[in-house]
Amino acid sequence: MAAAILVAFAAGLLVTLSRQLNGRLALGSSAMASSFWNHLVGFALLALLAAAAGALWPAGAAGAPLPAWLGGSLGVVFVAAGSWLIPRLGAALTGGLLVAGQMLSGVALDLLRGGGAQPGLQLAGVALILAGVWLSRRPRRRPARA
Amino acid sequence: MSPTAPTAPPVPRAAEILAALGAGGLLTLMLLANSTMAAHAGPLFSSLAAHGTGTVVAAALLLLGRRRRAVPPAAPGRVPLWAYLGGVSGALTVILTSWTANSGLALTGTLALGLAGQVVLALAFDMTGALGLARRRPEPRELGALGLILAGTVLVILTRGAG
Repeated sequence: MAAAILVAFAAGLLVTLSRQLNGRLALGSSAMASSFWNHLVGFALLALLAAAAGALWPAGAAGAPLPAWLGGSLGVVFVAAGSWLIPRLGAALTGGLLVAGQMLSGVALDLLRGGGAQPGLQLAGVALILAGVWLSRRPRRRPARA
Repeated sequence: MSPTAPTAPPVPRAAEILAALGAGGLLTLMLLANSTMAAHAGPLFSSLAAHGTGTVVAAALLLLGRRRRAVPPAAPGRVPLWAYLGGVSGALTVILTSWTANSGLALTGTLALGLAGQVVLALAFDMTGALGLARRRPEPRELGALGLILAGTVLVILTRGAG
């Protein structure tokens, strides 16, 4: 259990590390170029691992429905957005707002599917997140006196 | 970025906030798609397929974009080789979380601890200006926003945890 805790925490560190590296790459190229390299390099590494495991094309792959194949395309936009945002907002606020969007859409998805236990607590969570997003926006500057 | 006004980013913050929230929404759909694939063919293939299709789509978008006038890079010049390794980190994340989600932590613990790891390192990066990005001290307003978002996220994760 202690190992799992460390590994789960480390996975979070890797998310931030990945976004920081892609953000640096984007500064010298573009947000979309950083997303391209992120996916290509990740693909090469995963292909090596899958080949080593002898599972480049597992049995269930052919039976997966079409929507299951669309995650990568969405990920391209997500990574590019992170690279675009990080020099503008910094790592912490970029991560925070991405998580906020993920949580708000997750709750919305639950509602659409008719699921979602403990709606009261979820609503409180949504309210806290929205308050955080509201607080994060740049305060309007007072117009300089002429 | 304008060198004369370091405190005023060129794009209105509202557009950036909306972009981040929208991208977070895409992440929800992406995880839904990837978990469907993982249910059919396992987490390793799910990540492999997402990175493979993502590579093709990103290449296509880059080629399409080349026809338009290119936006000059913010910091032209040689990009250090290590900056190309974001994909390694991303691929490893998938492997680690697919293991912890099946451990005693389950998905809820994996998400909550991952969130903690993300925020701690992001704050450290901001304060030190690590890996070639700007150093910036988080303002109290920003920390307050982050605290509220995190508190709300923990509530949402705990209540969605059953699913």
